[in-house]
Amino acid sequence: MDLTIDPDELNMCVQCGLCLPSCPTFRVTGDETRSPRGRIALMRAVQNDDAPLTPEVLEAFDTCVQCRGCEPACPSGVPYGHLMERTREALADDGSLTPVWQRWALKPLNQPRLLQIGTTAMAVAQRLKVLPDRLGAPADLPLRHHALAPSATVDAPGRETVFLFTGCVMDVWQSKVHAAAQRVLEAADVAVIPTNRLAPCCGALHTHAGLGDDARARAEQLIGALPERPILVDSAGCGAAMKDYGHLLDTEAAREFSARVFDIQEWLAPRVDQLPQVDKVPVRVAVQDPCHLRHVQRVHEATRTVLAPFVQTLVELDDDGLCCGAGGAYSVLQPELAGLIRERKVEAIDRARPDLVASANPGCSMHLAGAGVRTIHPMQLIDAAISKTPL
Amino acid sequence: MTDELEDELRRALPATQVRGSRIRRRRGSDAGRSRVRTDSAERALLRRDASVFDGGVAGPVCFPETAAEVQAIVRIANAHGRAIVPRGAGTGLAGGAIPLGAPIVIALTRMNRILEVDTINRVAWVEPGVINLDLSKYLRPMGYHFAPDPSSQQVCTIGGNLANNSGGPHCLAYGVTDTHIIATEVVLPSGDIVMLGGLDPEPDGLDLRGAFVGGEGTLGIATKIAVRLTKNPPAVRTLLLSFGHVADAANTVSAVIAAGIVPAAMEVMDQRITIAVENYVHAGYPIDAAAVLLAEVEGLEGGVQIDADRIGEIGRAHGATDVRLAASDRERALLWKGRKTAFGAIAQIKPDYYLHDTVVPRAKLAEVLAQVYEIADRHELLVMNVFHAGDGNLHPLLIFDGREPGVLDRVHEAGAEIVRASLAAGGVLSGEHGIGVEKQAYMSEQFSDDDLDHQNRLRQSFDPHCRSNPGKVIPMGHSCADIQALRRVPTGVWG
Ligand SMILES: Cc1cc2nc3c(=O)[nH]c(=O)nc-3n(C[C@H](O)[C@H](O)[C@H](O)COP(=O)(O)OP(=O)(O)OC[C@H]3O[C@@H](n4cnc5c(N)ncnc54)[C@H](O)[C@@H]3O)c2cc1C
Ligand code: SF4
Ligand code: SF4
Repeated sequence: MDLTIDPDELNMCVQCGLCLPSCPTFRVTGDETRSPRGRIALMRAVQNDDAPLTPEVLEAFDTCVQCRGCEPACPSGVPYGHLMERTREALADDGSLTPVWQRWALKPLNQPRLLQIGTTAMAVAQRLKVLPDRLGAPADLPLRHHALAPSATVDAPGRETVFLFTGCVMDVWQSKVHAAAQRVLEAADVAVIPTNRLAPCCGALHTHAGLGDDARARAEQLIGALPERPILVDSAGCGAAMKDYGHLLDTEAAREFSARVFDIQEWLAPRVDQLPQVDKVPVRVAVQDPCHLRHVQRVHEATRTVLAPFVQTLVELDDDGLCCGAGGAYSVLQPELAGLIRERKVEAIDRARPDLVASANPGCSMHLAGAGVRTIHPMQLIDAAISKTPL
Repeated sequence: MTDELEDELRRALPATQVRGSRIRRRRGSDAGRSRVRTDSAERALLRRDASVFDGGVAGPVCFPETAAEVQAIVRIANAHGRAIVPRGAGTGLAGGAIPLGAPIVIALTRMNRILEVDTINRVAWVEPGVINLDLSKYLRPMGYHFAPDPSSQQVCTIGGNLANNSGGPHCLAYGVTDTHIIATEVVLPSGDIVMLGGLDPEPDGLDLRGAFVGGEGTLGIATKIAVRLTKNPPAVRTLLLSFGHVADAANTVSAVIAAGIVPAAMEVMDQRITIAVENYVHAGYPIDAAAVLLAEVEGLEGGVQIDADRIGEIGRAHGATDVRLAASDRERALLWKGRKTAFGAIAQIKPDYYLHDTVVPRAKLAEVLAQVYEIADRHELLVMNVFHAGDGNLHPLLIFDGREPGVLDRVHEAGAEIVRASLAAGGVLSGEHGIGVEKQAYMSEQFSDDDLDHQNRLRQSFDPHCRSNPGKVIPMGHSCADIQALRRVPTGVWG
């Protein structure tokens, strides 16, 4: 079957295996079918040699977290993310992957109102203690949603004005993070326009699930809605997706848009001196790099630059940025593997003995919180330091 | 018959989740998957390792977690008259882990615990599936490391290192894997478990440990390994020398050794490979130099500075156009990352490579290198050279696009000529990657019939029925098995 992968890209892997240890699913299973090298070989077998799509082949693709930890590890520069996106899309079109219920489940992400009703229902369920744990929802789902207002200083002379992308899932589930991010930006004399309903969904989960048409529709919508200004994103997964619009749509407008997308830490790092000088928060913080910040956007160093002036001790995890297993909807769809992968991460965290773990991605935070790890977004930490609120 | 075999294997290896997990197992879930895999996807994938060789087809693929389970698999295989092939990370470059025929593959990746570290006696006991670099990272806070550092160390296993007696850049000073294996527990092809070697400095009797190391899986399966710990050096200096000619780099290497300096590592890369590497790591490798020499000295602070200065001088005397000292640990790490990912980086140029591994006397390096370039030219192939210069260990990489018709024949012809040129210069067949299926045919060019018969007798005393990794190392005619039969691929498996 033609997976519509570019034959040259597919041909790039030399099978050296250097990527294997950077792959979370290989790490916990030791199994070649759960490794990047193996998955690429299976793509080749399917596309070039017409190998049958057995349940095991589909499983091999389905168990990939799409964390892209294998990409920076690959000296040959195999664009694994693209290979997997093509594969998922071809298989979803063909009906082999991403069953109908999953497609429907992703629909409301674009409908703020629907999503909010859903979250409120979940919040109620949570308070009644009937919400299953495996959904991995944060412990304090908000009952009501407060939209953020634009800064008073928007377009004031001498001020930089930016969009703060508030997204979908995270918007209602973690609106506190956006509020903190906005306060931090304002403390740096930056004016903020929260995107709220202007830009309801980045389409990252759709891309992951192989729903290319949906993802492209989301991208078009955002590109139309957010002109000119820098677009700051406080969710690594959304940021990575939006930086990839240029590739996704392959249009000049999309490339221009993607060039304006920044991870909020990335954008703040060169401006860290604009933030007020305050006492450091007396905590030991471990930085957990979300995969889509470290392996895809590759701007994870910025998190350290922005956190350093505000926390007493910053420690690194010793696992070379191995994925935590959250992976968008992965932790819900593959709970066993996600759980095993998380255990490795939790062990690495335990070795670093932090008081808190800073993670710039809501998915990772929720997934880790599910294992009892105390997580916080870097923006919340800086916000707490500046406003001198105890953590 | 096959079903019976699978049933027995499944009973011996009940589906467990990955060890130590607190996650509940669900039926049909990934974590609770059977540890005996018979599906076509798994079997097709395990046909290959990192070499260009395509094997037969993996029979059932087993993922044991203990020596007792390995023993059970070997006994079941014996009862059914089936061959076995041990497999580590599958990074071998000589086809050692590929199945010939349809043997039972024993994947050791889940036996990956570091069992015990004894810094007083400088020994660690590890399971064979422990990744080489994971062990060194684990030891780092204690001030030690595992010295053999193959370029694949981020992924290859200690069991694979032992079986291939692997080397690495720093083996110039520390010796190859054999020097660092103190003892190993082995499941013999009969299914018995024995301990070879021991912690005593001078174990009694024949050194069977020494015989086993480098056995490439044909003598049994290592299930527990005692490795020697090496103290981390107090001071390190890393130099990068640039040259206008590959021969100048090669001659510098000989001159450094002749001057009585024993660097920890001396690695040469030619221009093509340097460009590919620099493109990946951005370590500041000079892309306009015809060759670079990466040299490292270790030891006490005073000594390393003197050695580093002398290497710089010798380099300049032999035409080095630039000598650079790595200024920080970060820079040093980046330079090494570049060197160690060199083979992987070539797909930027062509999608396939065939890597050779021969050793020539150091003094003949420049001469043999010139021949290598000439041979490649003649066969209209691109060749890149990256090698452990200090040991005279050449790694010419022939790079090509396998989709081009007829190219593989040219690659094999050129490869054969390179091997012969090395042997003619007084070299040997394999520096470190092993013989596997790759070098088998050349064995008789290096060894006499008598030599080979004796090697086969040693092998048979471990494995009288030729069931452990059959068809490898010892060439046809000297080997006990009927290798032709091994090449048969059973029907029903694609890939
Ligand atoms: C990019 C790259 C760079 C490399 N650089 C080097 C280098 O610098 N130096 C070097 O020496 N090699 C190098 N190699 C080759 C290879 O990595 C080594 O030979 C390595 O030791 C193989 O380990 P593995 O775990 O991948 O073993 P595998 O490839 O899985 O197996 C290798 C052999 O060991 C046997 N085996 C595996 N485990 C056991 C066991 N527990 N008991 C008995 N037999 C076993 C197998 O049957 C097979 O014959 C490189 C390879 C690559 C891809
Ligand atoms: S994307 Fe992540 S899970 Fe998928 S193959 Fe790469 S490293 Fe493994
Ligand atoms: S993806 Fe890259 S690192 Fe992994 S096996 Fe292929 S070439 Fe090697």
